[in-house]
Amino acid sequence: MPHKIMLVEDDRPILDMMEILLRRIGYEPILVPDVLEALRQAKEEPPALILLDIMMTPINGWEFLEKLRGEYGIKDIPVLLFTASPSVEEKITGLNDPRLGILQKPVSIIELKAGIERFLGK
Amino acid sequence: MTDKGNRFLPHIISRTDIVRFCVITSLAVCCTLITALSYSRSIDFINYQLFFIPIIYAAFFYPKRGLLVAFACGIAYQAVGYYYRYPDYTAMVTVTSEAILFVIIACMISYFIEKIRQGETRYRSVFEHSQLGIALFNRADFTIRQTNTRFQDMLDYTTEEITGKQFSSLCLTPRDKERFLERIAKSEASENFETRLTTKSGSGYWVNLSWNTIDETTISCTAVNINGRKIAEKLNNDNMMKYSQLTENSPNGILLIQHETIRFSNPAFSVFSGYGKNELAGKHLADFVDAQDRDEFMEFARHWSENKPVHGEIEIRFVTKTGDTRLGSLTANSILHLEKPATMINIVDISEKQRLSDKIHEDNERRRGIIITVAHELRTPLQPILGYLNLLLSDPDGFGIVEDTKKILERCLVSVDRERQIINQMLDLSVLDSGKLKLSYSTFPLEPLVRSIIDTSGYLSKAEVTVDIPESVTLTADKDRIYSVIDSLLSNAVSYSKPPRRINITYHSEPGDANHHISVQDNGIGIEQNAFSSIFEPFQLADSAKLSRRYDRIGLSLSIAKKVVQMHSGDISVKSAVNTGSTFTIDLPREMKNAS
Repeated sequence: MPHKIMLVEDDRPILDMMEILLRRIGYEPILVPDVLEALRQAKEEPPALILLDIMMTPINGWEFLEKLRGEYGIKDIPVLLFTASPSVEEKITGLNDPRLGILQKPVSIIELKAGIERFLGK
Repeated sequence: MTDKGNRFLPHIISRTDIVRFCVITSLAVCCTLITALSYSRSIDFINYQLFFIPIIYAAFFYPKRGLLVAFACGIAYQAVGYYYRYPDYTAMVTVTSEAILFVIIACMISYFIEKIRQGETRYRSVFEHSQLGIALFNRADFTIRQTNTRFQDMLDYTTEEITGKQFSSLCLTPRDKERFLERIAKSEASENFETRLTTKSGSGYWVNLSWNTIDETTISCTAVNINGRKIAEKLNNDNMMKYSQLTENSPNGILLIQHETIRFSNPAFSVFSGYGKNELAGKHLADFVDAQDRDEFMEFARHWSENKPVHGEIEIRFVTKTGDTRLGSLTANSILHLEKPATMINIVDISEKQRLSDKIHEDNERRRGIIITVAHELRTPLQPILGYLNLLLSDPDGFGIVEDTKKILERCLVSVDRERQIINQMLDLSVLDSGKLKLSYSTFPLEPLVRSIIDTSGYLSKAEVTVDIPESVTLTADKDRIYSVIDSLLSNAVSYSKPPRRINITYHSEPGDANHHISVQDNGIGIEQNAFSSIFEPFQLADSAKLSRRYDRIGLSLSIAKKVVQMHSGDISVKSAVNTGSTFTIDLPREMKNAS
């Protein structure tokens, strides 16, 4: 049974591409373009890992993360911030969350695989 | 006056005294004889009254000795009276009463004369010992009749020399004389007339004159010495004039502070503060300092008020008359003003500089914001391209890709990778420019670091690389940053040379040298000398016309590398000859320095 990877991302071309890429490297992608819907789904059907875009509406990736870890109490699902924004590193060091990582867009297939495997193992 | 003077010196017997003595004695003897005659002839209407002539005369001129005369006359009269009236007791008692009356009258006269003289002595003493110069002169022709010692001392004359001179002739200049005559003609009682009198030697002497008419012919004039004050005032005015001339055109605000108050301010400070120079004079500078900076200012001011040397400068905000805040940079110098310690303060208006610097900071922040947004926007579309290329190349057979197409796709991948790198470098540069980058120092051996760079980036497959670094060399620096610096230099060496590529990495540092020197030498295309500095400039500043063809892929890596090394208080330099090769040298301090 492949690991379920939830991709919270509102950019359609990226979603389409990532679906194929994730399958290619052996995971089952769950694509959620709606960030609020993603929170509900994460509670009901927890994925093995969440790939999270930051620049989204109506709430951004940071707010999603805060709600996920706080309000929703989901602390054990690893989250990889999947973002093109720089200066994310500074922010996450402040959060001190061991189950939080970064994948800087654009990410190559090798980097993607390595990033996920850091939390889920080979 | 000499006659009067003798009366104050009774022990000196003058001719006048002798004459008076004779007159009194003769009168007394005559009175005694006349009285004896009148008693002997029983002429009652003339007897004792005659004795009042010598008694009053003596008591008037010599109050104490006058009493003796009265006693003597009394005894003489009594002797004559008793001789002729005995044994008529009633008449003898009358004679005694009349003799006593002589003494009483003499006592009264002496008492009043003494009183009058005492008063005169006091006035004379006041006149002589007054701290004010006093001169009495004729109302009509201003001839000086009398002056006190003080007045004579002021002008350096003796009593004889000054008496008889015209008071108006003592005025220093014709103009002074004219003013004096005008004033005295207008009013016979005047106060606070400041003028200059001439001393014996001909120099001027400042006095404040007040005069008053004391009788029909005499004017009494007092002179207060204001020479010292006037000279100080003049000196002060001269100094102020000098300060004005010196500081009038200075663009900086200049203040003279003495006894904690402003003594002088120049026009530039008035422009700076909005206050006129009269509004500033006598005020405390602290009153014009913004409340937030007052403590700092007081600390600075404490130094100069204690006459300690004041070093350096401080930036202080001032509140102007219109209520605006202006920033000034202050320096202070101790000087002597009127022979007393004072402080000269120089104020440079840096409000504009501060405003520009704030604006530059703001602009930089905005630019950084734009760069961050642009980076985000450029990176996002790269994701599908990179992803799909990765996907296709991960299984060419599965996607039915022939070898030629695969090569094309691989080239696309290289370009995407380069673009990704350029965006990352652009961001690195913006972080470096913002000064927000913090170095994390550690001490590590250099040689293994260089080896790992060569291995990781696979330079051995691209060039013949020799490393000549002693194993004992350790650096104290930000390891990750130094890694990228050396990697950039190696990458450049590979990029700008043709096979067979040879790259030498060497280290040298003499004993006592404060720096490490790490050189990367290649046998590449070289760089023209006039481009040595531009290759370190970020691409937007480089002379693109000259550089673009040869170094079109130089990107930002060298400018980043240079900035990183500069943050370590070091530098990167280049030596190069076209078509022979280039040597880039990193100079890195051995000791950790405060990053600028």
